[in-house]
Amino acid sequence: MRIAVLRPQVPFARGGAEIFTDELVAELRARGHEADLVSVPFKWYPGARVLTQAFLWRMLDLDEADGRKIDVVVATKFPSYVVRHREKRVWLVHQFRQAYELDGTELGQFGPSAEERALRRQVQELDRRALSEATRLFATSANVAGRLERSTGLVAEVLPHPPQALPYRNAPSEGFVLSASRLDRAKRIDLLLEAAALRDGFDMVIASDGPDRERLEEVAHARGLDGRVRFEGRVSAERLAELYATCSSVFYAPVDEDFGMGPFEAFLSGKPVITTTDSGGPLDVVHDRRTGIVVRPEAGAVGEAAVWLREHEAEAEAFGREGKRLADEVTWDRAIARLFA
Amino acid sequence: MRVAYFSPMPPEPSGIADYSALLVPALHEHLDVSVVRRGAKRPPRGVDLSVYHIGNNPEAHGWILDALRRTPGLVVLHDFVLHHLVAGVTIGRRDGHGYLDAMEREHGVVGRLLGHGVLDKRLPPLWEARPEEFPLAGEVLSLATGLVVHSHYVEDRARAAGYDGPIARVPHPAWPDPGVAAAQIAGDPLIGAFGNVNQSKRVPQLLEAFARVRAEHPAARLLLVGATSPGFDLERRLQRLGLDGEGLVREGYVDEPRLWALMKACDVHVSLRSPTMGETSGTAIRALTLGKPLVVSDVGWFAELPAGVALRVAPGDEEVAELTAALQLLAERSDVRATMGAAALELATGEHDLARVAERQAAAFELAAGGGVVADDVLREVGEAAAGVGIAPGTPEAAEIARRLSEVDLGG
Repeated sequence: MRIAVLRPQVPFARGGAEIFTDELVAELRARGHEADLVSVPFKWYPGARVLTQAFLWRMLDLDEADGRKIDVVVATKFPSYVVRHREKRVWLVHQFRQAYELDGTELGQFGPSAEERALRRQVQELDRRALSEATRLFATSANVAGRLERSTGLVAEVLPHPPQALPYRNAPSEGFVLSASRLDRAKRIDLLLEAAALRDGFDMVIASDGPDRERLEEVAHARGLDGRVRFEGRVSAERLAELYATCSSVFYAPVDEDFGMGPFEAFLSGKPVITTTDSGGPLDVVHDRRTGIVVRPEAGAVGEAAVWLREHEAEAEAFGREGKRLADEVTWDRAIARLFA
Repeated sequence: MRVAYFSPMPPEPSGIADYSALLVPALHEHLDVSVVRRGAKRPPRGVDLSVYHIGNNPEAHGWILDALRRTPGLVVLHDFVLHHLVAGVTIGRRDGHGYLDAMEREHGVVGRLLGHGVLDKRLPPLWEARPEEFPLAGEVLSLATGLVVHSHYVEDRARAAGYDGPIARVPHPAWPDPGVAAAQIAGDPLIGAFGNVNQSKRVPQLLEAFARVRAEHPAARLLLVGATSPGFDLERRLQRLGLDGEGLVREGYVDEPRLWALMKACDVHVSLRSPTMGETSGTAIRALTLGKPLVVSDVGWFAELPAGVALRVAPGDEEVAELTAALQLLAERSDVRATMGAAALELATGEHDLARVAERQAAAFELAAGGGVVADDVLREVGEAAAGVGIAPGTPEAAEIARRLSEVDLGG
């Protein structure tokens, strides 16, 4: 089949959605499909630009390219699903969250004026209209599907995707807690640092980069964690796989995350995950005392979990094995078969 | 966002007052709602939107129509047929000319002549005899900057009447089960009908059908709750049908706790109507909350209830036969009653869930208040971009852009 994978692109930014769509295209090609990525820059401010930029997708003609039909388009995140196509499949990474659960929070975008309230509602109307055109509707996690159903009444099938391809392996624990999440506030890495400040008994490696790095380094210094936390920045695939393989556990506790590849990467390395009760998507696979530890979003509770997993290696290994069993079920073969069933 | 909310409120004896009493606290989760005191002529200063609840009862809604005339705004249209309201605010205020004008505006010279016939008492009041033929909704529609309706039926009739503003269809919210104990009333099954006892609630047809059902199911009983309308001779009908003995349980107007207790006692609820004014039945909504199977008329909002929740009976020649068959089925099949009851409860907790309804109402209010500005902003930016690459108004390219905007409701 000739398949276009649709991805809005915030110039100079790269995250989970970019990794996901790149890998989807590669996996489709590996299975003999003629697949390509269709990307349109996205800017969501000021004012009604969120709608006019979304509308760019509506003006695209993806019925065919260079005289040949495009059989299927796979839209992923807002606003790529605004596109028109007779065979529009949506594999929803997320909606425009500022119009939904982030509204009214510090991460929200729309103010209290009548115009901004209406703008938010118009984004919701656009979602309802565009997503209801999909011939099949999937969501990457139960969290994303739940949000979609609550906001639009539309029901999506939950279809997780595998994490990025790394040379995953398992090795004996060297006793540190790994965080590989992008360094921004929503990933809540402060919680791990505050946990370490409250509890001895574990060290940390922060293996990523992002806009919050400087602040986090200051927090670590201020809490006297200089000897216990190491900021490695963005590391190579080999180094990341090595860190996953040798950690005692992986900390992954963003706020209400859409999907979260972190737990899958940890599990493929046979490691348990520490997450929180409000983390969203990760709760699909991080099950308390089965594949990791789920705690209240409080530093003390995170610290206790980190120490417990370090001190109970047999249980930690068992959690990691169970996680790997779950992660092994999520393959590109299965995901692609369902996507085009 | 501040909203001025014009509605009857308890203790006014109005279904719409009950509706607003349920909804307003849930709307406060989204909006700053100021309920306007009864009789106010204008909204408070500084509000972003005025919302007017319009129904057919002039006692409850006359003052709201007066306010709407002064300050147009969003109308929550509870009934499509507003003849009784219009008659109340014209003839009821000794303004016969106003009534004639309203009739002429919507029904031409014939309408005016009919109006004269009513004023001269040569014709029975049209709001009683033929309201569905003369809905007189035109003035309200002309003043509404947007509509919220509860049914496809009212939406379709508003469109058919030429209304071209935005319409949001938002279901009636379901009351939570207050948890009162069921009244102790025998009946196997106990069939309940709630509301005024009169012709338009199809009580004659119900009595006749029930008499037939009872011939085969002597343990069945009919619970009839509500005031008897003037001129409706219930006793004579009961005697004629042999229902004046054990078969019927009668209660007049009851307060809310008693209403719930009686409704809970019933195995089957009957909610018939013809003609319909386009209304939603508050008692039918309560029956959904209680997980009761329904038998309804195949008209208006009632006809939009899912088949798995309500058996539908068409008004007309076969009405009694169809109603008898529906009641027979539900009398004989407790499994069908259970399945329909479960579906009713699912509908109440899903589509009619209070929080969900409030969210949708708030969305409609917010779009009504600021949507015009947003649409203008979008059109300006898209228009400027198109003009920047030489696409002029009236060209095929401009038409395509307009079509695409329209497809996704972005003001094209």
